[in-house]
Amino acid sequence: MRKNLVRFCFLATLIALLFNACVNEQSVKYTRYFTDGAQLYTNNCQNCHSSKGEGLAQLIPPLTDTVFLRKNRTQLACIVQYGLADSITIHNKIYHFKMPSNQNLAPIDLAKLLTFVTNSFGNQQGLYDIAEVENNLKNCR
Amino acid sequence: MKYFFKICCLCAMGMYLSQCTSTPKKLPIYGEREAVKKIINGLETVDTVYQTIPNFSFLNQDSILINSDSLKNKIYVADFFFTSCPSICPIMKSQMLRAYQKFKNNNEVKFLSHTIDPKHDSIAVLKKFSDKLGVNPKQWYFLYGDKNTVYNLAKNSYMSSTFEDRAAPGGIVHSGYFILVDKNKRIRGAYDGTNEEQVSQMIEDMQALLNEYQTK
Repeated sequence: MRKNLVRFCFLATLIALLFNACVNEQSVKYTRYFTDGAQLYTNNCQNCHSSKGEGLAQLIPPLTDTVFLRKNRTQLACIVQYGLADSITIHNKIYHFKMPSNQNLAPIDLAKLLTFVTNSFGNQQGLYDIAEVENNLKNCR
Repeated sequence: MKYFFKICCLCAMGMYLSQCTSTPKKLPIYGEREAVKKIINGLETVDTVYQTIPNFSFLNQDSILINSDSLKNKIYVADFFFTSCPSICPIMKSQMLRAYQKFKNNNEVKFLSHTIDPKHDSIAVLKKFSDKLGVNPKQWYFLYGDKNTVYNLAKNSYMSSTFEDRAAPGGIVHSGYFILVDKNKRIRGAYDGTNEEQVSQMIEDMQALLNEYQTK
C-alpha cells in the first residue's frame, strides 16, 4: 500500500514536471518572439505608428484598436507584408493614406513582429506562431 | 552612501549656482555674415549684415500665395518633406505637430512644410494631408512649388554651409532638419526633426526667440 503511494507520488511529480517544462517552453518561445518583435517594430514600424502605437492624427492609424486586431488576426500578416492601398477603418475612423509593403520581412520576422504588436498597446492575444503566419500568407486578398 | 550624499550636495550646489547666473537666453545667429561700412552722421561705423532667407512665393494648401510678406513679424519653423514618404517624414510630422500644439493660435508663430515631391503632392493632396493632420491652414502652411526652386531654396538658403557637416545620407534636403527663422528672416536654429529631445529644445528656443522680441 505504502509502496503504491510512493510510486503514485513519483509519477505525479514526473508528469507535473514534464507538463511544466512544456508550458515553460511555450512561454520561453513567446518571450523570445516578443523581444525580437519589439526590435523589428522599432526598425520597421515605429517611424509611422510611433513608439506607443498611436499612429499620427488621421493620417496613420493607431495599433490600439484591440477589436480590429482580433477580428482581422488572419489578415495581419498580409497587411504587414504587402501593405495597404485601400482605406481602413480603425476606432470608427477611416484612414486613406497608403501603407508601404515590407517585402524584406521573412515569415519568422512577421511572426515575431505580430506577437509583439498583438500583445502591446492594449492588445493581448498571445503567441503568433510562424505556422500561423505561413498559413495566413497563403490566403492574402 | 557617503558618496551619494556628496553627489547630492554637489547637485544642489550646481542647481543653486545655475539659478544665480541664469540670464535670458539669446539664440545664436547662423549663416554667412559680412561687415559693411556705413557712414552715419559723418562717422564711419561697421555694421554686420547677416544671411537671410530670400523672398519666395509658393502656393499653400488653400491655393493662397505665401511669400515673405505673409511672414512679416512672424517667427517660423520650416521643413522639407513629401506626403508619400514612409521613412522619416511621419515622425517629423508628429514632432512638428507637438511644436504646433504648443504655439497653436499664437499669431507670431508659423509653420512651413515645403513638399519636395510636387509631382505627387498636388495642392489637393497637400490639402487632404493638412486636414487629416488636423491643423489650421492659416498657421501651418503646406507649400507647393517648382521642384528646382524648392531644392535651391533648401540647399542655398535654409541648409547653408553652416549645417553641411551635419548632412545625412541621401542629401541635405532629406536630412529631416527643422529650421527656426526669426522675424528678420535670419536662421536661429536647426534641429533634427526625428529626435524628440532636439524638438523639445526647439520648442524652448522658439519661446526664447519670442521673448527676445518682447524685451525690445
